Amino acid sequence: MSEIAIREPLVARAAAHRAAWRWRDLRAYALLAPSLVFLTAFTYWPVVQVLWNSVHEQDKRAVSFVGWKNYAAILADPAFRHAFVNNLIYAAGTIIPSLVLALGFALALDRSSRLNTLLRSVLFLPVLVPLVAAASIFLFIFLPGVGLLDHYLARLGIAGVNWIGDPDVALASIIGLTVWKNAGYYMLFFLAGLQGIALESYEAAILDGANAWQRLWYVTLPALKPTVAFVIVVALINVVTQVDHIFVLTKGGPADSTNLILFYVYQQAVEQYDIGKASAATVVALVILLAISAVSLSRSDREAQA
Amino acid sequence: MTARRATIATGEISPQLGTALVIVLTALWAIPFCWMLVAAFRPEMFGGSGMASLVPDYLPTLANFREAWESADFIRYGLNSVLICGGILAVQLTTMSLAAFAFARMRFPGRTALFYLFLTQMMLVPIVLLVPNLRTVAQLGLYDTLLGVMAPYFATAFGTFLMRQAFQSIPRELEDAALVDGARWWQLILHIYLPLAKPALIAFAIVSVTSHWNEFLWPLMVINSPDNRPLTVGLAMFTLGAEGAQAWGVIAAGTFIVIAPLILGFVTFQRRFINSFMTTGLK
Amino acid sequence: MSYRWRHIRAAALALGLIAGASAAQAATEIELFFPVPVDGQLARDMASLIKEFNETHPAIKATPVYTGSYDETLIKTRAAIKAGKPPAAVIMSANFLTDLKIEGDIAPLDDLIKASGTTNEKFMSQFFPALHGNAVLDHHVYGVPFHNSTPLLYYNVDHFKEAGLDPDKPPQTWAELVTAAKKLTKRDGDRVTRWGIMMPSNYDYGGWILTALTMSNGGQYYNEDYGGEVYYDTPSMLGAMTFWNDLVTKHKVHPAGEQKGPGVSNAFLSGQTSMMIISTGSLTFVRSNAKFPYRVAFVPMNVRNAVAIGGASLVVPTGVEEEKRKAAWTLITWMTSPEKSGWWSRATGYFAPNMGAYELPAMKEFMAKNPDAQIAVDQLPYAKSWFATYKTVAVRKAIEDELQAMLSGKKTPKEAIVAAQKTADEILRPYVEQTALKLPTN
Repeated sequence: MSEIAIREPLVARAAAHRAAWRWRDLRAYALLAPSLVFLTAFTYWPVVQVLWNSVHEQDKRAVSFVGWKNYAAILADPAFRHAFVNNLIYAAGTIIPSLVLALGFALALDRSSRLNTLLRSVLFLPVLVPLVAAASIFLFIFLPGVGLLDHYLARLGIAGVNWIGDPDVALASIIGLTVWKNAGYYMLFFLAGLQGIALESYEAAILDGANAWQRLWYVTLPALKPTVAFVIVVALINVVTQVDHIFVLTKGGPADSTNLILFYVYQQAVEQYDIGKASAATVVALVILLAISAVSLSRSDREAQA
Repeated sequence: MTARRATIATGEISPQLGTALVIVLTALWAIPFCWMLVAAFRPEMFGGSGMASLVPDYLPTLANFREAWESADFIRYGLNSVLICGGILAVQLTTMSLAAFAFARMRFPGRTALFYLFLTQMMLVPIVLLVPNLRTVAQLGLYDTLLGVMAPYFATAFGTFLMRQAFQSIPRELEDAALVDGARWWQLILHIYLPLAKPALIAFAIVSVTSHWNEFLWPLMVINSPDNRPLTVGLAMFTLGAEGAQAWGVIAAGTFIVIAPLILGFVTFQRRFINSFMTTGLK
Repeated sequence: MSYRWRHIRAAALALGLIAGASAAQAATEIELFFPVPVDGQLARDMASLIKEFNETHPAIKATPVYTGSYDETLIKTRAAIKAGKPPAAVIMSANFLTDLKIEGDIAPLDDLIKASGTTNEKFMSQFFPALHGNAVLDHHVYGVPFHNSTPLLYYNVDHFKEAGLDPDKPPQTWAELVTAAKKLTKRDGDRVTRWGIMMPSNYDYGGWILTALTMSNGGQYYNEDYGGEVYYDTPSMLGAMTFWNDLVTKHKVHPAGEQKGPGVSNAFLSGQTSMMIISTGSLTFVRSNAKFPYRVAFVPMNVRNAVAIGGASLVVPTGVEEEKRKAAWTLITWMTSPEKSGWWSRATGYFAPNMGAYELPAMKEFMAKNPDAQIAVDQLPYAKSWFATYKTVAVRKAIEDELQAMLSGKKTPKEAIVAAQKTADEILRPYVEQTALKLPTN
């Protein structure tokens, strides 16, 4: 009899515990719900939609399954091939100079002084400005003949090039604008990274007889590796998702020399009304973004464990 | 300490050359802004060739600003931008605090999976999914409205992540003490977690507002009526229209009007600004 | 006592006014999408035009919405139609009407014309015959011409005199054009300080100028009666493309690469080019800003004098509710009346599509003072409609992309037109398969 007396409250308490757990789970889900609603509506569900649209074709009234046709179509489309290659060139062309410049700026302006604060602020200013505003200014800078670049180059006796009208030069001009815009941003990350280097590492190196260059190579740069990795990830995402300047300056031209994958998506969707191809190209962009995020997540996981 | 470390790190690599180089580069960096300032005050002199001069060899005039002001309703555009950024931020703060609390302090089945799901959103910015998102916005009847521009940003994985980190660093004892006092979970969030996470909140707010203030392509797709345009779209329309009139001085003035608020904010809250960008960046 | 009465009376009057005002507030609100395709204060001029309309038509409140270039206006309009919020009226590039009709984006205006008490023929007879081709499709009126243009040769009189050329005898053939351009081009060592001639080659403009050259070479750009054929790989277009290419590479009187419209007029006004071929729509802009004497002339010919008409018509998209449609019609008829047509022409340089505009005293006076505005009208007998096909913009870009590539030295003229023809045929294929190639199977 006493056993039952003991068991009942225990059972009751276990049940109550489980009920409490379920109640807590529900509450957790309830807290996540608002975010999940929006994430589903504007990120996850669209991904599903894009995948579906990329294997279907909309033809006036009928929608039909077409398998790989859209993907084959974009691979056959010289505009997409150009956009893809351009994106690669654009990535290398913006990330490497931005990194080098940002690191250089950070190293040079690390010390706190009035001059340095001023210089850092000037370098950071382009980051605050909307890309369209910057593009408006650069529209004039690149203007053939009377624009800023040509004007001062003429003073030096050098002939200007058709900065955004010559297919060979246009992408380089866009790259220039992007580097100008972002170097200050990446400089900040390096500044923060530099502050994290312990003084002791340097003092140990000095004791070992290392000179300035060696200290840079063996102490500073290795310590900045995670920052470099992080900046590369941020820059790569920007390369795929930022096309405002293309919109204002070149619209992908001339002759597709400044077309980028996201702009191609815009062209196909909004100008050509070809949802199938636009979705296929979007999938390509998504795959690239997911690859970047996977690499960066696995790396940060490794670091967290280390 | 930092001064000494900095000197050791860089100062000995020919400091003079380094400083000179950086000063030259910085001057180069500033040229577009210099031109904008000089051109904005230059009296309308067509002829083009003088337009590019960086030397203010004229009597400054406010005519360009007046014309830019009259050609585009910058006040309305600015108001729209404020509404968009403010609206997004308000909802973001709510959704991210709630979600962060769940991730930081609660254990529930599927927590890790859901967290990774959240993280992927950081890469999949709404503009990449522009095709389906535009359709969704139209179906919800939000085409050509400010709400349509804001909606995709209401949930933020980035903010959730930041908040989760901030919450995790808050000592459990505080929560336990409050629980002992009989606090409910939402009181915990309001009175303990949020106030203590204020630096992270402010940092996030600055990053969020800056990035949405500068957003262009998505609002361009959603908004049609000039009344609902944010500043970026308004400026682009204004530039492309004025480009026809070759009114570069007016374009410079208009651009200046658009840039001014952020730059003013930056100059005033300089340290906070820079710090917030740096701390939110370091994941 | 009388005091209080006066107060009450005043209050009643005030209330009455407010009530009256709010009744007027129930005006039909309509939106007008408009592009700014050429240099000039067009956005400002449109704003003042609409303001005048609103003041004289209190029952309607029209809002002008600037929507970019012709191409962008098309995109914006289609997006608005798809989202269920179409504008009541759009100023659409005249050659888009065929494509819009095929896709069902615009509706015929016949019923509105009939309701206003006239017939299609009588209504259209007030506009120059050359404009009918782009506005009347299948005997239905789809658009009302608003402003139209032809390309003109602008030239700098001072430069002509300096180079020993007679400003009263502008080049009339391609050969004369090359000769003049060669004399006008100035060099400083290897660097060119002044070009002989410049022509825009950006999207929309480039194709239009190329059309003018092709037609002047005896050619026809497209099948005027059937929207599924374009004639890129033809001798006439090969000649035109080679001519433009030669200007850059052989005669070296024209800069390489893509030239944007504003860049060309900018160069002309700052004396960096002596001649340019651009739209008459920029005439007022050039007149107000040129600090030197200039003249305009017909586009030089090779085989015959012929150019394409540019410009835009007012259309009403499908899906607009009846109230707004009627209000839009009021706006359209007002804007295309002789007075307003003439006013817009004087403000911009476009010629007024409404022939009646040229009978009005204000216009006659203006033409007497500014004979250069007459040249575009004089060129009209030689002008034909601009090309309009299925998916007009894509088909047009097919040749424009090749043009830009050729001008940058990436392709020969023959390669360019062959590639353009291939691309264009591919774009037109779905339409062709549904029409010309849809044959009975039994």
